[in-house]
Amino acid sequence: MATFGWKRKVGERVSKATVQQFEQADDDNKVEKEGVDWLHVIKRRREALLEDCSAKSKRLKDEGTLLAEQGRNWEALKRWDEALQLTPDDAELYEMKSQVLIILQEVFLAVQSAEMSTKLRPLWWEAWQTLGRAQLSLGEVELAVRSFQVALHLHPFERPLWEEDLDWALKLRQQKQVLSEREKRQEEARKLLVEAPELKSDYDFESDEVIDACTAMAEKQKKYEDLKKTAVIVETHGAVKEVVVEEDSRPASSSVSDFVKARAM
Amino acid sequence: MSTQYSILFKQEHAHEDSIWTAAWGRNEKDGSETIITGSLDDLVKVWKWSDEKLELQWTLEGHQLGIVSVDISHNGAIAASSSLDAHIRLWDLETGKQIKSLDAGPVDSWTVAFSPDSKYIATGSHLGKVNIFGVESGKKEHSLDTRGKFILSIAYSPDGKYLASGAIDGIINIFDIATGKLLHTLEGHAMPIRSLTFSPDSQLLVTASDDGYIKIYDVQHASLAGTLSGHGSWVLSVAFSPDDKHFVSSSSDKSVKVWDTSSRTCINTFFDHQDQVSLRSVDTCLPHLSLLNL
Repeated sequence: MATFGWKRKVGERVSKATVQQFEQADDDNKVEKEGVDWLHVIKRRREALLEDCSAKSKRLKDEGTLLAEQGRNWEALKRWDEALQLTPDDAELYEMKSQVLIILQEVFLAVQSAEMSTKLRPLWWEAWQTLGRAQLSLGEVELAVRSFQVALHLHPFERPLWEEDLDWALKLRQQKQVLSEREKRQEEARKLLVEAPELKSDYDFESDEVIDACTAMAEKQKKYEDLKKTAVIVETHGAVKEVVVEEDSRPASSSVSDFVKARAM
Repeated sequence: MSTQYSILFKQEHAHEDSIWTAAWGRNEKDGSETIITGSLDDLVKVWKWSDEKLELQWTLEGHQLGIVSVDISHNGAIAASSSLDAHIRLWDLETGKQIKSLDAGPVDSWTVAFSPDSKYIATGSHLGKVNIFGVESGKKEHSLDTRGKFILSIAYSPDGKYLASGAIDGIINIFDIATGKLLHTLEGHAMPIRSLTFSPDSQLLVTASDDGYIKIYDVQHASLAGTLSGHGSWVLSVAFSPDDKHFVSSSSDKSVKVWDTSSRTCINTFFDHQDQVSLRSVDTCLPHLSLLNL
């Protein structure tokens, strides 16, 4: 008996796969076309999230900036780290992070962060400036000078870069040179004292030779101690001077007593 | 164009640090060709170009900070170099000795350029002035005022009539050298002009800017003859070939392009550099196009 029915099953004439595809395509169209799709609200939200990575990152960045301005540096760092999760190629975020890390004295991390920034945007002079500053705080004067030079090459009309950063780095470099020179001289004097030729030869203890040798030794010792007493002083305008520190007279007397002791021998 | 260009020679590890500037010159006496390079490592190196090979001739020491610009005089005898510490040094290319050191004053020298008669050196300054130093006297002899901003680039026209300067704000000034008067001021680019050059017949001026464009100007009428795009980043330098028909540009997008002057099209692009290219006179004879690796 043939029964009459309005309902016809979907799969009867059209293959299932085609139907599915068709329906899916229809769904997708809906989602794209309609502004608000309450039926597919979950799907929409996921899409919105994907699109908004940069916007969210920007919001986090701004929040971090506000926090940093209020001196809440660690919180700012946290915001920027979150932002970097969303937009890992943002050179500005790395650069700002580096600035705050310098303030927090996390100098090694600051250098790393600034280096990342210069890698992502090699033509951005501010990244190089920050890198230079981070390197200075780390004590890498030579590297800092180089970074400032790159920054200047990219952006030569920035006065503060010339007058503050590069000048300061060059001053530090000069001081370092003076210091290392002084250390070298001191080391030489010490060597002379320890491996003095006078100590190596045999002396007839009755002769004047011994006294001569002792006098020479004492003089060397005195020279060494004088060197030790000098301090490198850097004036505000950058001139470097070596000054003998006068405050304690004890070392001087000790060398005299040494001299006396040698004589008594 | 059927000509195929290829890299003729590549010098690896020419300097310990980035090369910021280079110049190519030919000695009038013996016809030998010289390339000089200036680097961030404070050194200027002089290379002899012969048998399609580069041979290091001199390493010139003396600059305290990175080298900004180098140029070779048109007779090929003298080289000039300027560094970030605002000293210009003149070198005898035959002996490799320093002839003179000019202190241009704080922040008062950037690009250096020899005049076509090799008697003067022009350099731009922070305050928008073009200072012209005498090679013989070692002193500042003239000063041309653009009333503009920091001058990044400078070029003499080969016929010795004009001097063009490109400023940080994208303004180009053209001076008449004989009278010292400012002839034209062109608002060419919106961003710093890092390089400009005249065509060998002195009719055209080509400018390169951070905005990524190259512009061609008719010098006599001070009119824009063409704008070329193609580079993906700052255009750092432009240089003409002596045949008047081609010029070369280099960019921080790591490419070098060869352009045809009449049709204003790019006929070749090189992507063989690992870092930004900033060569000034990339070529003097185009078939011998050779590039130094940065």
